[in-house]
Amino acid sequence: MDYANEPKGVFFLIDNKSFYASVEATMRGLNPLHTLMVVMSEQENTNGGLILATSPLAKKYYHLQANVSRQRDLPQDEHLMVVPPRMNLYIQRNLQINDIFRRFVADEDLLPYSIDESILDLTHSWRLFGDSPREVAVRIQKTVRKELGLYTTIGIGDNPVQAKLALDLYAKHTDDLIGEIHYDTVPEKIWTVDDLTEVWGIGNHMAKRLNRLGIHTMDELAHANPYLIKEKLGEIGAQLFATAWGIDRTVLHQTYKVKSSSLGNSQVLPRDYHNQAEIETVIKEIGEQVASRLRHHHVLASKFLLSIGFAYASSENGGSSGFSVGIRIDPTADDILVATALIRAFRKHWHHEVIRNVAVFSGNFSDDSAYQLDLFTPLSTQEKRLRTEHALDLIHARFGFTALVYARSLTEGGTAMNRASLVGGHNGGNAYE
Amino acid sequence: MGAMPMNDDLKILLERIRGLFKLQYRTRYWVMLVDDHFDKTYNFFFHYQRKQQRERSIPLHAVKTYNLEYLEKLIADLRSVYHFNITYVGFEDEYWPSTHRLIQRRRLWDE
Repeated sequence: MDYANEPKGVFFLIDNKSFYASVEATMRGLNPLHTLMVVMSEQENTNGGLILATSPLAKKYYHLQANVSRQRDLPQDEHLMVVPPRMNLYIQRNLQINDIFRRFVADEDLLPYSIDESILDLTHSWRLFGDSPREVAVRIQKTVRKELGLYTTIGIGDNPVQAKLALDLYAKHTDDLIGEIHYDTVPEKIWTVDDLTEVWGIGNHMAKRLNRLGIHTMDELAHANPYLIKEKLGEIGAQLFATAWGIDRTVLHQTYKVKSSSLGNSQVLPRDYHNQAEIETVIKEIGEQVASRLRHHHVLASKFLLSIGFAYASSENGGSSGFSVGIRIDPTADDILVATALIRAFRKHWHHEVIRNVAVFSGNFSDDSAYQLDLFTPLSTQEKRLRTEHALDLIHARFGFTALVYARSLTEGGTAMNRASLVGGHNGGNAYE
Repeated sequence: MGAMPMNDDLKILLERIRGLFKLQYRTRYWVMLVDDHFDKTYNFFFHYQRKQQRERSIPLHAVKTYNLEYLEKLIADLRSVYHFNITYVGFEDEYWPSTHRLIQRRRLWDE
């Protein structure tokens, strides 16, 4: 394989070791690696508790694999510390960590990838901080540890995908928490992987599809016929083939522009809902939340999707697990119009099933600088409605969501008040300040 | 207490402890106080543990006035209401300003 024409640089993929649990450990003056701790969300809809993060030691002791598991999988052990999540604190720490990274790379060479992962392009700057990329990695680790108490795991590669694989396959399993993959080490580092699901981008489902083509290891993937893979698995297949060869042609500061975006909210209800009025309250609340986000983005939507998921018992009996309805209306971001359309669709398709999930998505956006007036409603009414909603948004922005809510959010079944303080569905921890 | 001015830190601590202190049977309650060298704050946590069950640690408050005299007074005020044991973490080699006594007697095993 000739890599001469492939882009070659110095890329780091940096991940925070058990991020939430580590932050909680440092706040308690404990060493993140030597603490038995889990971060558990106990929101109403988590059915007794959802484990969001586990300290490395707890993972080892209790054999907790995936990060998100249930409370019942966790033993009652006196030595284990259980703490509630504080999402806002983790966001703040993530910003602090990225500020440290900015001392090593220019702004455009830093790409925060998730709440605990960032990609750094050090091609142009690593020589300023050490004699080898690995030396720079150690320096970054030491800086973060010294200033924030946290341990970072670093994958180093000649391109982003190599860095990602170096992180997942090697850095997470070594003592110095650093892994490296380069073009010339692809055969020894990537092809030796026997379990396809260990590789970024390959889940159980994809592994099975590859198995059906006679591919069971990365070595077999790298030496399969790329045209056949593309024909059988599409573009994703071609991408995985490139991954097997450690090839990635991404340019970091060239941001990807989505063709058509969508905007929506969904939630799992705290209990089974069967009362029509209660369900409609939640649908209205989510519809209003979506409408308010549309207004915030200064767009109008003309396509909405209402998705209803049945409760477990209900889907067992009827066989179906829920329904989704697409709705077309005149471009709008109006609370009442959106809610009315959603409720109408709901009534048409709901046959008294017990439900547990509600989701509303919107799409087909247009700019809100032009507003389509409706011939059948008096002009003054339409104008008044627009102004009221604008005022409502201002009040929410200034005094918080709970400062002014629709009265029905206070009725049995409404979830908006409780969810207002959550971040990503979990405790934001504002109360801490 | 009457006219005694209560500062905000104390008020927040008392309020949150009141909400969490349920006086359950066979349950141990205590407060953990951390000298947070990274954020330069004193972090208070409310801990409780039922016999043979997991230990729970709930954040109470972070005191931003990073000053031992202030902290000593705050703890004295807190102790006039609640008599929980306080576990100190991160105060190695630090002394209370008024009594010159060592704040933290034991080192944590992993420090």
